[in-house]
Amino acid sequence: MVHAGKQLMTGLGVILLSAVLAVGCYAMDYPEEIEIDSLVNLYEAVVFDHAMHVDATENCSECHHHTTGTGVANEYCAKCHNGNEEMDLVACVDCHSADPLSPENLHNPTPDFVYHNDQPNLKAAYHLNCIGCHKEVDGPTGCEDCHAKTEAGDKFYHSGEFAPKESAHSSGH
Amino acid sequence: MKKLATYGVKPHDAGMKSDGQQWSLMEKLLLGLTLDQYIGQVLRNKLNWFLAIIFAIGIPVILYRFVFSLGAVTHSSYDYPWGLFLGFGLFCMVPLSASGFMLGTTVEIFGRHDFEPIERLALLNGLLGYFFAVVYLLVDLGQPWRLSYPMVYSFGPAAVLFLVGWHVATYLSVQVAEVSTAFFEWIGFQRGYDFIRKGTVGLTVSGIILSTLHQGALGALFLYAPGKVHPLWYSSAFQWIHFFTSSIPAGLCMVICVSTVVIYTMKWRCDQRFIDNLDRITISLAKGAAMGLSTYLIIKLIAVAHDNEWAYLMTGWGAWWLFEIVGFVFAPLVILSYAIRNKLVGLCRIGAFITVAGILLNRLNTALITFNWKLYQEIPHKWEIIISITIFAIYITTYRFILNRLPILYQYKSKADE
Amino acid sequence: MSKITRRRFLAGSAAGGAALMLTPAQKALAAGSFEGFPEGMGVLVDLTRCVGCRTCEAACNEEQHLPEPSKPFDDFSVFDEIHHGQKRRTTDKAYTIVNRYDVKDTEEPLYRKIQCNHCNEPACLTSCFVNAYKKTPEGAVIYNSKVCVGCRNCMIACPFHIPAYSYHSVLNPVIKKCIFCYDTRLKEGKPPACVESCPQQVMTFGKRKDLMKIAHERIKKNPDTYVNHVYGEKEVGGTGWFYLSNAPFEEAGFDTDLPKKPIIDNVKDFLAIVPMVLTIWPALFTGFHLLATKGKSHGHGDDHSHDEQEGH
Repeated sequence: MVHAGKQLMTGLGVILLSAVLAVGCYAMDYPEEIEIDSLVNLYEAVVFDHAMHVDATENCSECHHHTTGTGVANEYCAKCHNGNEEMDLVACVDCHSADPLSPENLHNPTPDFVYHNDQPNLKAAYHLNCIGCHKEVDGPTGCEDCHAKTEAGDKFYHSGEFAPKESAHSSGH
Repeated sequence: MKKLATYGVKPHDAGMKSDGQQWSLMEKLLLGLTLDQYIGQVLRNKLNWFLAIIFAIGIPVILYRFVFSLGAVTHSSYDYPWGLFLGFGLFCMVPLSASGFMLGTTVEIFGRHDFEPIERLALLNGLLGYFFAVVYLLVDLGQPWRLSYPMVYSFGPAAVLFLVGWHVATYLSVQVAEVSTAFFEWIGFQRGYDFIRKGTVGLTVSGIILSTLHQGALGALFLYAPGKVHPLWYSSAFQWIHFFTSSIPAGLCMVICVSTVVIYTMKWRCDQRFIDNLDRITISLAKGAAMGLSTYLIIKLIAVAHDNEWAYLMTGWGAWWLFEIVGFVFAPLVILSYAIRNKLVGLCRIGAFITVAGILLNRLNTALITFNWKLYQEIPHKWEIIISITIFAIYITTYRFILNRLPILYQYKSKADE
Repeated sequence: MSKITRRRFLAGSAAGGAALMLTPAQKALAAGSFEGFPEGMGVLVDLTRCVGCRTCEAACNEEQHLPEPSKPFDDFSVFDEIHHGQKRRTTDKAYTIVNRYDVKDTEEPLYRKIQCNHCNEPACLTSCFVNAYKKTPEGAVIYNSKVCVGCRNCMIACPFHIPAYSYHSVLNPVIKKCIFCYDTRLKEGKPPACVESCPQQVMTFGKRKDLMKIAHERIKKNPDTYVNHVYGEKEVGGTGWFYLSNAPFEEAGFDTDLPKKPIIDNVKDFLAIVPMVLTIWPALFTGFHLLATKGKSHGHGDDHSHDEQEGH
């Protein structure tokens, strides 16, 4: 999966992550904000306040698994990863493919001997991680709590000014 | 007609008038009456008024269905794709029309010519039942103009419905041929009559084959829905046998019912042979029906035992199943047996009516009432009910029209009596 | 009507015998134990990930050019809709639906996406008398609506209540259901629109056989999370789309009483008797006829006349 991460850089991904290199959390050398705009056709870009989340969490491993050199949150991972070493790849997109459905990714599935053959794609990794934790800590969980819908988004969801007329009518009752 | 008979008017029943002249087609259609007499008796008959009221309401609704889609007259249910049109029109009409092959077999194959007075009525009952099952189907199909596709254009031979379609179509042709002898006599086409009579045994045997298979196939259609039909009405091993065996008493009892209606309301049309033999034949038919019912009852119970469904009998559905089996299979079996033993024709007729009602209940239970028993029950749309009644009224009208004219209930004479 | 009857009569007499004899042979080919095309694609649906955002419904609507929905796709009041005591189902205007289920012992509701499961041996396909349906090597169950007569047998047959019918069309009512985005995507190796749109990757697209391994691995790695069952691995002979859940499947509205064998297996017993009846009955009943009428006037010959009374 490591090479998959590299492929991505040339892929379709329009993810603008600030350059994230092998930097430990405690070195405090991490991006303060990350702009995520892969869904920009439906939603406006989300500015992820990384610094705030660093303050809010006890340990970088809660999101970054074993890659930040801060231990391992999930003991299952600890069977292989001791978590005390910083990895070269820390950013989400380095392992979680931003474009899992591109033809080359689909037709060259991870070989059977690779243990991590079932990683969520980048979009899912974000959402699963964010929403999962937000539910526990009462953070925002609704779509539009984080993402402001664009006009194209309204059109796609038949919402806002594109809402079905009968619906507007019946809701008026 | 009764009133006319008191004036000595006799209906047309022979190739030639008593004075040796040929009847014209118009005269035949008017039953040998004058136009005034004919219209007079039509207007006097209260049933005609009743049918007229049904047509006045129902025919516009049928037109409405074709102009404004099936969705306009049904609930457009995705969970109940088959409503009354098929639940009643196809699944009930077909077993009640098994009479054609039953009596065809009895008379032509087993040589029981003592059943001959009722053979043509049974054949006609079969033909009309199938024909109107197809009419119901045409109303129900989304694109009836594509009805011939499985026949000529796109074959799905692995499907049970493919078999049903082919068999009903070919069997309908066989029945047209079988009943055509009466028609050829009536219009005086001797060569056509002779031609068909020569092929009688072949036609009858093909009728048995086709009937065995498609009566069973109608049951097998529900094998596609193992989770949807209630287990008490579903049996993967016996479903087709249930439908086939129950069609035997269904067909026989339908003939008893029709002949009962005929003898009470159309006696003028029956000849002496029919009237004299009817009581004897009714009891004989009842014997056949009782045999069929007892077989059916046993196989129904075997199916419950086979799938070990006794526990379901303690549920509400089980009570409904017992109501059907005890009230409409066991009870008529007892009634018929008692009536046969004591030669009680009237009681045979009562038993036959209950049996027919039982078949209706069974088919509606399988196709509609217990279908989707895990989901919900649906009452058909009011216009769906009206259309079903209207088509049935057309069926009765056609039935009567043919009985009045063709030599079904009477033997065609070469020359009318003085 | 008369035209059709005539045509049927002609076709019946000419092709009838041949086609009827063909039935069992064709059946034998379709029988056996077909387990899907080896390279067939599938989708693993992990219900534990679904948050009920309905984006897949919106994506399907857009991709398949379906009519405007009655409520916006971000309106979650649809989860409370109940018709005839049932939650929403697929219709001719919506090929996929997400429903919410309240599950015992957890506060979190469970969301379930419903669409065609693209069975290995589809009941709809085997029940269709005009052979409109096709299971493609890519794994999709598609259909040719140009030959659909509208008998709706496939709706009866589908164990998942998926095919819908455009009842309100006057001139061209046809079956409507999910086709795995076959025409626009799957054919080119791309995943269906719903899969691509999902923010949570509830659905994983890939070869069915690979996904099945992944499904079992997920259960193995998270035994506390998942129910130890892959719904659709064996149900009705295996489905192209299959499910993982953290709650018992029946609580999420799945029918857990479905047979493990394909639906068509139920019908095989009946289809097996067809050739028997076709071959044995003619000889049997002609024999009966000869026995029963021996010594009597041979049936009704030409001499038969209804003017004579036949006394017995």
